[in-house]
Amino acid sequence: MAMAAVSPSLVRELRAICGDDGVIATPERLLVYECDAYTMEKNLPDAVVLPRTTEEVVGVVKLCAAHQIPIIPRGTGTSLSGAVLAVDGGVIIGTTRLNRILRLDFRNRRALVEAGVPNLSITNAVKHRGLMFAPDPSSQPSSTIAGNIAFNAGGPHTLKHGATTNHVLGFDLVLASGESVWLGAEPDGGDDVEGYDLRGVVIGAEGMFGVITRVLVRLMKTARAYRTLLAVFDHPDDASQTVSDIIASGIIPVALEMMDQPITRAIEEAYHFGLPMDAGAVLIIELEGHEAGLDRQLHRVLELCRKHHARELKPARTDAERAALWKCRKGAFAAIGRISPCFVTQDGVVPRTRLPEIMRFIYDSAKQHGLGVANVCHAGDGNIHPILFYDERIPGHVEQAYACSTEIVRRCVELGGSCTGEHGIGVEKVDLMSVQYTADDIAAMKRVRHAFDPEGRCNPHKMFPGGKRCLNFKPARQVAV
Amino acid sequence: MSLVAYAPDDLTVSVTADTTLAALQKYLARRGQWLPVDPPHPDRLTIGAIIDGNLSGPRRYGYGTVREHVLSLRAELADGRRIKTGADVVKNAAGYDLCRLFTGARGELASVREVCFKVQPLPEVEQFVEARFPSVEAACAFVEILDTSELTPVVLDLHHPGGAGLWTVVAGLAGMREDVAWQRQEAERLGTLTDSSLDHDRRFWAAAHAGPVRKLAVLPSALAAAIQPLRAAAVSLVARAGNGILYYHGGPEPPAPILPVKLLQRLKHEFDPTNKFPAGTS
Repeated sequence: MAMAAVSPSLVRELRAICGDDGVIATPERLLVYECDAYTMEKNLPDAVVLPRTTEEVVGVVKLCAAHQIPIIPRGTGTSLSGAVLAVDGGVIIGTTRLNRILRLDFRNRRALVEAGVPNLSITNAVKHRGLMFAPDPSSQPSSTIAGNIAFNAGGPHTLKHGATTNHVLGFDLVLASGESVWLGAEPDGGDDVEGYDLRGVVIGAEGMFGVITRVLVRLMKTARAYRTLLAVFDHPDDASQTVSDIIASGIIPVALEMMDQPITRAIEEAYHFGLPMDAGAVLIIELEGHEAGLDRQLHRVLELCRKHHARELKPARTDAERAALWKCRKGAFAAIGRISPCFVTQDGVVPRTRLPEIMRFIYDSAKQHGLGVANVCHAGDGNIHPILFYDERIPGHVEQAYACSTEIVRRCVELGGSCTGEHGIGVEKVDLMSVQYTADDIAAMKRVRHAFDPEGRCNPHKMFPGGKRCLNFKPARQVAV
Repeated sequence: MSLVAYAPDDLTVSVTADTTLAALQKYLARRGQWLPVDPPHPDRLTIGAIIDGNLSGPRRYGYGTVREHVLSLRAELADGRRIKTGADVVKNAAGYDLCRLFTGARGELASVREVCFKVQPLPEVEQFVEARFPSVEAACAFVEILDTSELTPVVLDLHHPGGAGLWTVVAGLAGMREDVAWQRQEAERLGTLTDSSLDHDRRFWAAAHAGPVRKLAVLPSALAAAIQPLRAAAVSLVARAGNGILYYHGGPEPPAPILPVKLLQRLKHEFDPTNKFPAGTS
């Protein structure tokens, strides 16, 4: 359907709802909102609102509904797939001022928080009671809980603890019509809810079903003991085979991460942790649980590492060493600027036994396209994140990066995997949806969209092939996982 | 039973919906693996029925309901189209998560034909312990102690036979040998325990003569208060006490839930406008 534009009088009405400081409508201030962490496509929204209450959100959404204006829910814009790009203009509804922690229930291990609360703030508020919010994307200091819901965010510890959908019990959703519904478990209610799992289908729907304002999350007990190991390999093949063998042996570490030489070097130059500069690849392997039994598990992991020619095995001896190791891993992307001014981060998944194969494919493909590449991945999940380096000053280089990216992700699907494990489709991968799914599969998804948002006005042009694009092949750089 | 694909080294398995749970578990056990869900009657319960009802059993406390273990579904829609949703890998952020929508939809949105699960290694050791109490309050207080302790049980049940019987708390411990031994020792420090099993759950679900099974979901902290009004009816009950889920025979009906009815109806209409999959038939 045709979407309308935002008029000056509509901006005045938005100000009447959110206050003068709650509405952004001048081009220079809107520039911040022209893209998210996926920078290959950009477009300005017509206005941005920053509501402070659910009532203000409802007011804005109803006003936009009356005027047929697209709405785009947005957290802190850390999406790596362009999911909060205002493709067709419209009003971005920023949730960053909905940032209160409303209730902590330690006995039942639940927290009720507003949509814009950053992921890490939840754990910070409960860790003194030995609890945590488990999903831990690298963006966790800034990415919001509602943004985590939009992408079913994961992180290194997803391997054992699951992703966002396993830890969000319910939430308040303002539909594009302005109708507000609570989906999933109520703050004072039990875990099980009658009817279809509407909560579950909204999680991972990339903000296309409405604006979330409040969220009820499940808290987990933090483990009492850890064994965190850095394993160093001369050859990436040996590292990825070790990952495959650990999973196959029946040990499920809480995290099993792989980093290859280019990324390890960049991290070492940035953080001076003591990582080897000449290793083909390193693994970070973490086991957790009660103290009893952990050493026997670690022993088995060490044996598997040695079997695949690990040249050095360094267990973290203190909590500080463990924290430093994770700081390196989660700061990996911040260190990339040391290698290349321009890079694109990819995201794909393969069955875990195909990890050695996809890693070889990535190196070959980057070489053929004349690009540099570094790999940091959630190896235990089969979730790869190759980072392709290019130079936008060289004619055709951006296109090569795009082609190589697409080739890698297509290969993931051919190997029985997925074109995205955690970054989502957004605008970036709309064309890959039909590689992974049939037309009938996609049509079934559209039925759900139609039930939630019959006008298709909430976050339009995302997820499905055939949407409008803003691709310009003049990207700057992108960061993350 | 029809096993479509089993990749033990990837910890994934795909089976047709008519497979019984027992047949699947037997197959997986040969490779030391299992699907960590344990609803009653595994010999006759099919995977399709488990998906339709999002079923679980006592081990739900440790492993969740079946919804947590589904990676992909193949289903036939009301108009005859066959679709696949999800991917046969442990992480997938492509497209909407229809696996969650269809799991627990009682077959009202689509007819599930094939399921790919994430499976797990069987625990090295599993054992059960129990403690008995004269009152529901005392039993629930012990549940809270276990639930908020350093222990990580996979079962935390409360059961009562009806009438004047005692209230029994059953905890299941699973994992590596040393870990289970340590947890058992710790649990005994918290209360007087004897060896137990999951027989209470089998007895409860086998007692068809005791009337229809009703279900109530409350906050774990509200469990004792929720049980109080049922005691007058002297019903037998079993609770997933750590989850706040209560099953009971006979007794009063639970209160009707408040649901987003319009949205549920719109979804039903989108998938099945002619009501080919009517409610209450799955």
